[in-house]
Amino acid sequence: MRSNSLLAILRTLAASEAEFVLVGGLAAVLQGAPIQTYDVDIVYARNPKTIARLFDVLSSLDAIFRIQPERKLHPAISHLAGGGHLNLLTRNGPLDLLGTIGNGLHYEDLLSYSSEMYIGESLKIQVLNLEKLIQLKEELGGEKDTAVLPVLRQTLQESKKHRDRPTS
Amino acid sequence: MRDKPSVKGYAELMPGTDETLPEPAPVPEYSEDGVDLSLIRWTLSLTPEERLKFLDDRIADILTLRALNAIE
Repeated sequence: MRSNSLLAILRTLAASEAEFVLVGGLAAVLQGAPIQTYDVDIVYARNPKTIARLFDVLSSLDAIFRIQPERKLHPAISHLAGGGHLNLLTRNGPLDLLGTIGNGLHYEDLLSYSSEMYIGESLKIQVLNLEKLIQLKEELGGEKDTAVLPVLRQTLQESKKHRDRPTS
Repeated sequence: MRDKPSVKGYAELMPGTDETLPEPAPVPEYSEDGVDLSLIRWTLSLTPEERLKFLDDRIADILTLRALNAIE
């Protein structure tokens, strides 16, 4: 039985202790952008430990490739080691594993543009910051990326004001 | 040409109607490129957990609607 829960995917990923940075629409939503997204996008570290941990995550989430789902093709360790884009469908919804993002940026390159975010009290996720997300979308320049840019830019501006507001 | 009825006149005709007009609704705030700032301010007022729950709930709503409209 497949039921959508992006939260459940994030919980499983975090529990695995795999090294990854959350990117894409969900990273923007978590930082306050009122946009719609349907999947979890992560850029992962391509070291043997993380690859093994992610492989276990994918098995536990019953992940299959989203293309031709009727064939129920399961990703292998070699797919993860390859570092390409794996567009998957899990029991809790779509999950995209990315070896790199933008102009060939790896997990290690993204760390300085990301920060840890608590979702609730116990779930801690490394999330790419809005500034970098905007920059990457500007560089990509695709229709889908360009369409969402005004909302992301305004969210960044408003969040800065929100942070600067004195607390009583 | 007849004068438009005054607010007071209308109130007199309609029992229970307050004589004072309600305060006008606040003017919506949009950025120059048309982004609804009140929506952004609302999502910023939520915690990350609440933002994620809201998104998950909306996805569930959409999937429910799709299922209702599915053609056998």
